[in-house]
Amino acid sequence: MRLFERHFLLVLVALYLAAFALWPLGQLFAEALAPNKDGVLFGTFFDQWESRSAIRALSHTLEASFLSTLVSVVIGAVAATLLVLTDMRWKGAIVFMLLLPLLIPSQIMALAWIELTGPTSPILAPLGLAPEPGTTNPLYSKWGIVVVMGVEHAALVFLTVRAALSSLPMDIVEAARLAGAKPLRIVTRILMPLAFPSVLSGAALAFVASIGNFGVPALLGIPGRYTMLTTLIYQRLQGFGPQVLGQVAALAVILTLIAAAGLLLRSLIARRFGAAIERSSSPLVPFPLGRTRLPIEGAFLAFLAVIAILPLFALVGTSLLPALGVPLSLETLTLENYRFVLFGYEAAQRAFINSFALALSAAMISAAVALPLAYLSVIERRPLARLLDLFADAPYAIPGTVLAIAIIVVFLPPLPGLGVSLYNTGWIILVAYLARFLALVLRPTVAAMKSLDPGMDEAARAAGAGMLTRLKSVLAPLLAPTLAAGGLLIFMQAFNELTVSALLWSSGWETLGVMVFFLHREGNTTAAAALATLALIAALGLAGIAALFARRLPSGVVPWRG
Amino acid sequence: MIKPILGLAAAAFALGLADSAAAEPSGTLTVYTSQPSEQMQSVIEAFNKDYPDVQVELFRSGTTEVMNKLLAEFAAGSSPADVVLIADAVAMTQLKNDDRLMTYDDAPIADIPDALIDPDHTFFGTKLITTGIVYNTNLVDEAPTSWADLKAEDVASKTTMPSPLYSGAAVIHVGTMVQQPEFGWDYYEALADNGAIAGQGNGSVIEAVARGEKAYGIMIEYMAFNAKKKGSPVEFVFPQEGVTAISQPVAILKSTDNAEAAKAFVDWQLSRKAQEQSVAQGYFPIFDDVTPPEGYPKVGSLKILPTDAETLLENDQANKENFAELFGG
Repeated sequence: MRLFERHFLLVLVALYLAAFALWPLGQLFAEALAPNKDGVLFGTFFDQWESRSAIRALSHTLEASFLSTLVSVVIGAVAATLLVLTDMRWKGAIVFMLLLPLLIPSQIMALAWIELTGPTSPILAPLGLAPEPGTTNPLYSKWGIVVVMGVEHAALVFLTVRAALSSLPMDIVEAARLAGAKPLRIVTRILMPLAFPSVLSGAALAFVASIGNFGVPALLGIPGRYTMLTTLIYQRLQGFGPQVLGQVAALAVILTLIAAAGLLLRSLIARRFGAAIERSSSPLVPFPLGRTRLPIEGAFLAFLAVIAILPLFALVGTSLLPALGVPLSLETLTLENYRFVLFGYEAAQRAFINSFALALSAAMISAAVALPLAYLSVIERRPLARLLDLFADAPYAIPGTVLAIAIIVVFLPPLPGLGVSLYNTGWIILVAYLARFLALVLRPTVAAMKSLDPGMDEAARAAGAGMLTRLKSVLAPLLAPTLAAGGLLIFMQAFNELTVSALLWSSGWETLGVMVFFLHREGNTTAAAALATLALIAALGLAGIAALFARRLPSGVVPWRG
Repeated sequence: MIKPILGLAAAAFALGLADSAAAEPSGTLTVYTSQPSEQMQSVIEAFNKDYPDVQVELFRSGTTEVMNKLLAEFAAGSSPADVVLIADAVAMTQLKNDDRLMTYDDAPIADIPDALIDPDHTFFGTKLITTGIVYNTNLVDEAPTSWADLKAEDVASKTTMPSPLYSGAAVIHVGTMVQQPEFGWDYYEALADNGAIAGQGNGSVIEAVARGEKAYGIMIEYMAFNAKKKGSPVEFVFPQEGVTAISQPVAILKSTDNAEAAKAFVDWQLSRKAQEQSVAQGYFPIFDDVTPPEGYPKVGSLKILPTDAETLLENDQANKENFAELFGG
């Protein structure tokens, strides 16, 4: 019985990961690298290089991601430097405004920016700052994508650089002071070079997040005729259906290769520079800004408010309009759009229920799988479990579009033995969420498991408790806060998810992300804005709850992909 | 989460009842449509008043995407769709030629003009949708009156239109315009040369014009009138050379697993009630004696540009390619 129990769990976890992650990704690569119609080896893959639109999308992806990473680096690094190295005030507000774009799904952020910068902007038009009537929204362009993605991913750079700066030791500064160096010189010549690897590492994260982003290029790039790889995959699949699966699989592999290069660069940086600093001395004392403090504080807060808060006001403004093109005033203001999406429109109600059910199931099932997997790999140190633990990160690290294609490749045909296909049902979205988000709860659980005293497990084992009993009565209660926090993280990301569900939704299985996207495309932007505002309120509410749990989460599990 | 399961149960129940015949239509009915979801919502509500036991599931997207989804599903084995309600007869003809449509000889078509009905009774026009010119009243002082007006440099550069790659109405519009000797591809070349752009569907056109990003748009009339009714600063023009028209046909797929409910849906679409509702939604009626919505000309007074459907279907791919060549994908 014991033997059965031990292997049973391992086999179960292995099957779970194999079915939801390894099999789809393996099939995707097989499909993408298969011979083409003429039987040429790797033909499907290499055919893509002859397609002008694929090459164009690839160069757009690299160009926009690179430029937007620069934007993220400037905002994130400056913010981290000011926050850690100076005596600037209102640090809480700054962190909040920097993290806000990361908490908000990118298509909602893009929609908010569209509302802010168009000729009828409810914020800019009354101030006379809106673009000339009769001109296209300037955001429908490469630069629009660069700015919005840059702002969205600035937090990734900020978090990485802040962590590195706060761990810099005081000794270095003391030594420099004794040698007669002025604060500015200490910052630029000593601290900045020490923090530089963390800037690069944050930049790699922002870059990877940019190339996998779908919401921003979909809302800004499709009307602006600036196609990136994620939108090209979406358009091909929407336009031609699953018959082009091989083609889009090849595109997905290209996307994966770029993402992998970015992540590899990041781990190289971490390995090369990671352990250079001795961390036992007292932390840094911030440098006083003196008389420049107030102007710097004011300018920076105002800048952050413009990039993080104003677009959201514009979004709310548009959600209160009776129709596009009507100026916002007390007389025109209406709650009709809210009534419509909450009570007047069944698909939107369904989207709330679907997204809630999918996010909740994904969170609970993932937490239930993370516990035994972490146990088997950390405490029992089973080789297979440790291998699976490694692979579990893959579906989260690759772009969501790629995962969705992989899931379609495997789950479009009828399941072997059962004869039913998951395609066109909600189950296929759930499968994709289970694959994608497991890492979010597994990472903190593994970390927490490592910090547990193994004596407790041994004592229970000595007392004759089987593995299931030990998991249930000893480990689960100890790890419950971590599991709950990880689960909440999953719920937050899944609730407003667009990238994966845009390719997997079907009639009756709309998700909130898809609904906002579609209402906008139908020209019903006022309703899209109302729905986005509601989703936003839900996301912020959850973020509030998450903040309460935040202390339970080991560092390094912050979601860096929207 | 619960609905699909309920639907399945209902469908299973319906199958059990099928033997006893003549029962009220029930079960799940899946409709693929290009009609805006907000409108479909009220269509389904009204339909359910007459047929409360039918649970209608909806897939909505542009006609081109609906067609592609259908074709992909056929390729994969089967489609969950029972009824298709899309913008134009050309796409329907394609489905008919592929032998995907059910012949429905008992459809209630007495009041409907023959021109809107497939002679083999596989699909039936449900309303008339015309394509004309919309403009932003804040940006335009002198209203355009003809298609030719759009070609002028300072007008074309402020003009947007739907792309046939997304919109079924645009497929017909572009296809019909290029068949006219006085327009042809020269007309579109002139538009493109002078800076007109194409968006995605009609939704993208009304959005750009209502927001004031573009001053003029080529688009279907009801979306413009509806936006105007809600307060958007737009006005619609029926150009003097004539408008192009589509008939929003409805059809039952041969592969339907709920023919009773599908027939009920088609019957309802062709009923006077549906006509009155579509007038309320801003469509031209196809019954002679139903009054068109306020502000619309009498159907009889409309000048509709002639179109040859067979040629249109034949040139469909070429038209899309030509258009994409001029205006981009």
